[in-house]
Amino acid sequence: MQDIIAMNRIFKIFPPSLVALDDVSVTFRKGEIHAIVGENGAGKSTLMKILYGMQPADSGEIIFNGKNVKFSDPGEAILAGIGMVHQEIMLVPQYTVWENVVLGSEPVKFIDHLDSKKARQLVKDKIDEFHFNLDPDAKVEDISIAARQKVEILKLLFRNVSVLIMDEPTSVLTPQEIPQLFGELKRLRDDGHTILFISHHLEEVLELSDRITVLRKGRKVGTIEAADATKAGLAQMMVGREVIFESIRKAQQPGKVLFEVKGLNYIDPDKRPRLSNINFQVRAGEIVGVVGVEGNGQLELVKIIMGLIEPTSGSILTLGEDITREPILEKRKRVAFVSQDRANMGASTAATITENVIMTHHRLNDRFTDWAGRILNFKQAQTFTDEVQDKFDVQMSSGETVFKSLSGGNQQKVILGRELLLDAPFILLDQPTRGLDVGSIEYVHRQIIDMRAKMRGMLLISADLEELFRLSDRLLVMHRGKVVAELITEKTNVTEVGYLMLEGAAYEA
Amino acid sequence: MKRKVLVNVVGVLLAFLLGALVMLLQGYNPLETYYRLFEYSLAPGKITYTLSKSVPLILTGMSASVAFASGPINLGQPGQLVMGALFATIGGIYIDLPPVLMVPFLLLLAMLGGALWSGVAALLKHWFNMSEFITTLMLNMIADFFTAWAITYPFFEENANHPQTPLISVSGWMPEWGNFNSSVIVMVLAFVVVWFIMNRSTAGYEWRLSGQNSLFSRLGGVNISKNYIVVMLLTGALAGLAGGLVIMAGPHRFIKGIGANYAWDGVMIAMVANSGIILTLIFGFFFSVLQTGSLGMELITAVPKELIQVLQAVIVLIVVAGRGYFETLFAKLEARRKMKERAT
Repeated sequence: MQDIIAMNRIFKIFPPSLVALDDVSVTFRKGEIHAIVGENGAGKSTLMKILYGMQPADSGEIIFNGKNVKFSDPGEAILAGIGMVHQEIMLVPQYTVWENVVLGSEPVKFIDHLDSKKARQLVKDKIDEFHFNLDPDAKVEDISIAARQKVEILKLLFRNVSVLIMDEPTSVLTPQEIPQLFGELKRLRDDGHTILFISHHLEEVLELSDRITVLRKGRKVGTIEAADATKAGLAQMMVGREVIFESIRKAQQPGKVLFEVKGLNYIDPDKRPRLSNINFQVRAGEIVGVVGVEGNGQLELVKIIMGLIEPTSGSILTLGEDITREPILEKRKRVAFVSQDRANMGASTAATITENVIMTHHRLNDRFTDWAGRILNFKQAQTFTDEVQDKFDVQMSSGETVFKSLSGGNQQKVILGRELLLDAPFILLDQPTRGLDVGSIEYVHRQIIDMRAKMRGMLLISADLEELFRLSDRLLVMHRGKVVAELITEKTNVTEVGYLMLEGAAYEA
Repeated sequence: MKRKVLVNVVGVLLAFLLGALVMLLQGYNPLETYYRLFEYSLAPGKITYTLSKSVPLILTGMSASVAFASGPINLGQPGQLVMGALFATIGGIYIDLPPVLMVPFLLLLAMLGGALWSGVAALLKHWFNMSEFITTLMLNMIADFFTAWAITYPFFEENANHPQTPLISVSGWMPEWGNFNSSVIVMVLAFVVVWFIMNRSTAGYEWRLSGQNSLFSRLGGVNISKNYIVVMLLTGALAGLAGGLVIMAGPHRFIKGIGANYAWDGVMIAMVANSGIILTLIFGFFFSVLQTGSLGMELITAVPKELIQVLQAVIVLIVVAGRGYFETLFAKLEARRKMKERAT
């Protein structure tokens, strides 16, 4: 089989220092299904976005059908014959299937006048040609997610693309819908289409693809024939060789139970189960890590603990008291929260540093207010900002400067300072080092370990296995909304955990 | 801080320059026109009048500024203003107290009228999750026709040939010294209170932070829905107060169409002031200067006073656009500086 695409020596750097793709070269053959696998942040999506013209590469070349190409936007890529189906479906819900398919490249009669009869017939022909089980006249809002995804694919086929990029297509589907999608993709391949398929579900990758390229931390680990691959081998390639991550914890006896989740279930408004029967405890002086590929229920768990959404059933307890449906301010007396999303959840970037630092404290600690809570005490607020600056080593000029002028690391230090000084017994850490440089990560880790020594209880959600192994006493592995394993960090290893988080079940040789 | 002043001053100057260009094209003398404009509004004896005229502009401006800064998009100042005016008028017609009590009483009634009207929008949001962006606009029209009905039928002055109410009791008239109307004092008091609430109180802190990032504030324990209702009521009360003062300082009765000229200017002032309370005061006064001066300008020079409306609009556009532009410009300069630091 001949190569249809060759991406040579692709580099992509996100300023200031994140190397997303580090000298990646990969070729795709005509008429194959080629899976791109890797952990979060491995560079899969970035690589595909560069191919599709959504992001420019910093260096490297792309050869498509023997010609050197460089797409400056997705429109050019589609015109040349490369289309991408994104994770989120982007259709007009009020339009019918055929209207959505032709939108943007409508057949016209006279001048700019939609030829609806012809358009509908063209779409119908395409549906028949590819044996898609779709009704061209159904409204998109009335059809299932799987059918909408088919409409997205059809939209690209209508524009005669020969290369189809699928970004984690199964993540929005129910298990019953997946075989049908795979059947269709295989049929497209047999018709001569090339399919590039981003995934981190090993089983699906092995079932569907002809060849597999593995990326890890922006580098290509290798490309292998699917026939030669095994799940264990792939998992090892994805998470790396057997590295022993050194723990930086000192042995200590955990205290009483500070935080508990009991029988938690959550079904989202689209009727998809997001969390199923989650149970765990966090004791004083203990760090419990939550391992899992992003999107397996971690975000929903965070939102439920913090009170942004209500669980379908189950409860959250702190110090033995049910706080599931308490107002957020009530929860905050016992729960400190460091979020992964500094700009939206962790701070108001337009406000000053001081205004950010006193949030929550202003209601829980009466030293910040006078007149029975009605007036803010700015002197105290300023003193407190200085305290955070000293204790957490924040590089800043004054509390009156706006928060967004701080670097990412300093922003996170301010947020950590605010939350850790709340004196809440339980701390929820949602990817606390996301997007930080090495020095800041080190700093945050030391603070977390320090809190452990002070007998606080912590739940650490992270996408970084190294971080989880360094900090956690125990690990909960989440997969598709379930806790599939509860492990003692010392008694497990990266291979086992990596396999569990990707597959949801223990490896059986 | 310096940048803020710069953006506003440059914006205003640019707008004046554009205005001058338009006048030149039409054969007017811009220097003389501008001189007459400011002479008529700022000369001794005139400035007090300009100040009095700025009262409804600044109050509705503060109403919009507080709302926008805190999140709710209250565009209902026109309706809240006429409801406040109607409440004050009705109270003034039927009740007569000594002036010391009467004036505060009518002012409270006016605020109540405005707050009731914005409260309707707040409840519609609370119960049915209807956006105040739409409901306040709709309620403006209802208030318009409701007040028109009220002064045409139940509170109509006999023998008048135009829909209007009888005069309110003299004890409810705002005292006036020459051209200076005491409504200015009420406005300044309201300004001080609003500034204090926004910048010093716990509630104002929470409102501002929620306006900037409501998810963060919610996670921080702020009661978003309660604050929403309070902000809606307060901003409605401010617009209502503007309406009450228009009646009590001006014609002392509700005449058809009385609110038409003020309330939209409030939204415009809030926009050009970027929802800042102090800037609202400054721009509110400045727009009053332009509006009062335009009368004199038209009297003495041949330039039509409509030109001033154009000038106002241009100021808003340039200052608002300039703010965004300056921010990207400063961000770019900053980035370039950092790149250089890195290179060395």
